[in-house]
Amino acid sequence: MSDPILSIRDMRLEFDTFDGVYKAIDGVSLNVAPGEALGLVGETGCGKSVLTRAAFGLVPSPPARITSGEVLFGGRDLLSLREKQLRSIRGAQVAMIFQDPMTYLNPVFKVGTQLVDAIIAQQKGAIARRAARDLALEMLDKVHLPNPQRQFDSYPHELSGGMRQRVLIAMALAAKPKLLIADEPTTALDVTVQAQILDLIAELVSELGLSVIMISHDLGVVAQVCNRVAVMYAGQIVEDAPVADIFDNPKHPYTLGLLKAIPHPLRPVEHLAGIPGSLPNLYTPPTGCRFADRCSHAVPVCTDGKPPLMDLGAGHRVACTLYRKEHVDA
Amino acid sequence: MLKLIYRRLLMMVVMLLGLLAIMFVVANVAPGDPARLAAGPDATRDMVETIRVERGLDKPLPQRFVIYLGSVVTGDLGTSIHTGRAVLHDLAIYFPATLELVLFSIGLAIVLGIPLGVIAAVNHNQLADHIIRIFAVSGVAMPMFWLGLMLQWYLALELNWFPLGGQLDLMSDPPTRITGMLTVDALLTGNFAIFLGAVAHLFLPALSLSFPALASIIRVNRAEMLETLNRDYITNARAQGIGPLRIVAAYALKNALLPTLAMIGLRFGWMLGGTVLVEGVFDWPGVGLYAAKAAISSDFEPIMAVTLVLGASFMLANLLIDLTYAALDPRVRAQV
Repeated sequence: MSDPILSIRDMRLEFDTFDGVYKAIDGVSLNVAPGEALGLVGETGCGKSVLTRAAFGLVPSPPARITSGEVLFGGRDLLSLREKQLRSIRGAQVAMIFQDPMTYLNPVFKVGTQLVDAIIAQQKGAIARRAARDLALEMLDKVHLPNPQRQFDSYPHELSGGMRQRVLIAMALAAKPKLLIADEPTTALDVTVQAQILDLIAELVSELGLSVIMISHDLGVVAQVCNRVAVMYAGQIVEDAPVADIFDNPKHPYTLGLLKAIPHPLRPVEHLAGIPGSLPNLYTPPTGCRFADRCSHAVPVCTDGKPPLMDLGAGHRVACTLYRKEHVDA
Repeated sequence: MLKLIYRRLLMMVVMLLGLLAIMFVVANVAPGDPARLAAGPDATRDMVETIRVERGLDKPLPQRFVIYLGSVVTGDLGTSIHTGRAVLHDLAIYFPATLELVLFSIGLAIVLGIPLGVIAAVNHNQLADHIIRIFAVSGVAMPMFWLGLMLQWYLALELNWFPLGGQLDLMSDPPTRITGMLTVDALLTGNFAIFLGAVAHLFLPALSLSFPALASIIRVNRAEMLETLNRDYITNARAQGIGPLRIVAAYALKNALLPTLAMIGLRFGWMLGGTVLVEGVFDWPGVGLYAAKAAISSDFEPIMAVTLVLGASFMLANLLIDLTYAALDPRVRAQV
């Protein structure tokens, strides 16, 4: 396997708040191989957005504090870089698209102005305004925005949600980055528009040969775009496997619970299995497995210490005491 | 856009009518007999009554208001008892001085207030922010006449850096009167020495008058910048690699300016009222001082006229603010 394009190693991140120290990310390690589309799933508040934003210096500090770990990208540890160096990586090499297209475009600037600004920043000023404008129009065409010339001179409030997300995708991909981080790009959109945007992302990813991290709480979305899935729970990765394995052969009780909560399209829905309980308090996280008190398979050892991510072979890793060798053998 | 201006100007006429009505009632329930004052201390009862009839002061209040409005429309604002001149003539002399003072003050407050608010927000909870905040809180808390007196005492009297009061040194000849604003006239006639003298005289009263406005502009702009810098579109701009200068000075500030503008409009109104105090302290020959003197001598028509002029200025300034709103925010433009 070739060297990963992005490698996050044992990252820990805390927020200093009035209520104490909130331990949002606890020892997360993650690799993204070139050309790979990794899905990062988990419920709201599990730390998936913070993880990827913090890796590229987009979480304000204070209140955030990265207490350990490294983020290797392009042969450098991003956590040791200054803001100015990070800025030259963001946009140019790593593109991000976000959840709510309504709020991620500046309401008082024209769409075209924002596109041109972004392109000039991505190219570090090595492009004339005229050429940036041409590239912007070309990108708007590429994301299948009808009548690009007109949208270029529009303000964000004049566009629909789907159109704005297309604009944001055009902005993100104008510099032909190596890695795309898509943070719930379809959550805020209508179902029909969701499918179109997902198709568009899939199309552009294969055209540009991008690596992708697709953040979502929707396993269906992930199945459509990704070839590998990492499941996060309460600031930790609990399972990491090829996408087919996650659906056919889930190992972690939490992943199992998530899958059971998806309604089957052909069977009548009588009862959807939820996962009882709620996320643990991350001001004082449990010392053992963070899922233990919601887990129907929990055994006394589960609360003893944090289970490590164990390799089960074929690229399938899981952090659950139940799969420890001594347990499996016994 | 033209429709908006037209509509607002029409509204202004209605509001000014209301303002005049309120002032008219207040002036007439206030103690003091204008007829007796006009007649002078030695007048007999008959003479006072003659003047009362002559000036129409014997008629019922609503009728007098209608008569007054009629003369205002034809440009006759009455006669000042205490200067003995037509009020319109007095305003032509005094209003430009007030306008000069107020425009200079609000300009100072805007030019200093917006950058200071931005600097405080960008350095949130750091030393620069703390210093600017202390400065701003003291500005909001301090009465402007007191600040004026202190500035006058220390900077003018003790250090002798600035003149004590007035518009120009006694020795210098005022420039040819064009706009009535000394600094502008001095520049128009190319008289640079007089210009510097006029600015020196303008500085302390303008500083006193602008300080509370400066403080609130800083506070509002700082708070708005802090909020705007946390918005999603700023995160997106940063994710694109856009530099901090462009993010702060354009992407964030243009959004943060909208609420700040509302505060500027409000503070402009307070400033117009504040001229009465500050012009008194610095002996500035504007309508504030003119109105104060008129009020003391129950000189009713100048007070009405000053109210009218200041009210109209306030409304025009706010129309200007609304137009700036529309220029900054396309969503406002879309609603017009």
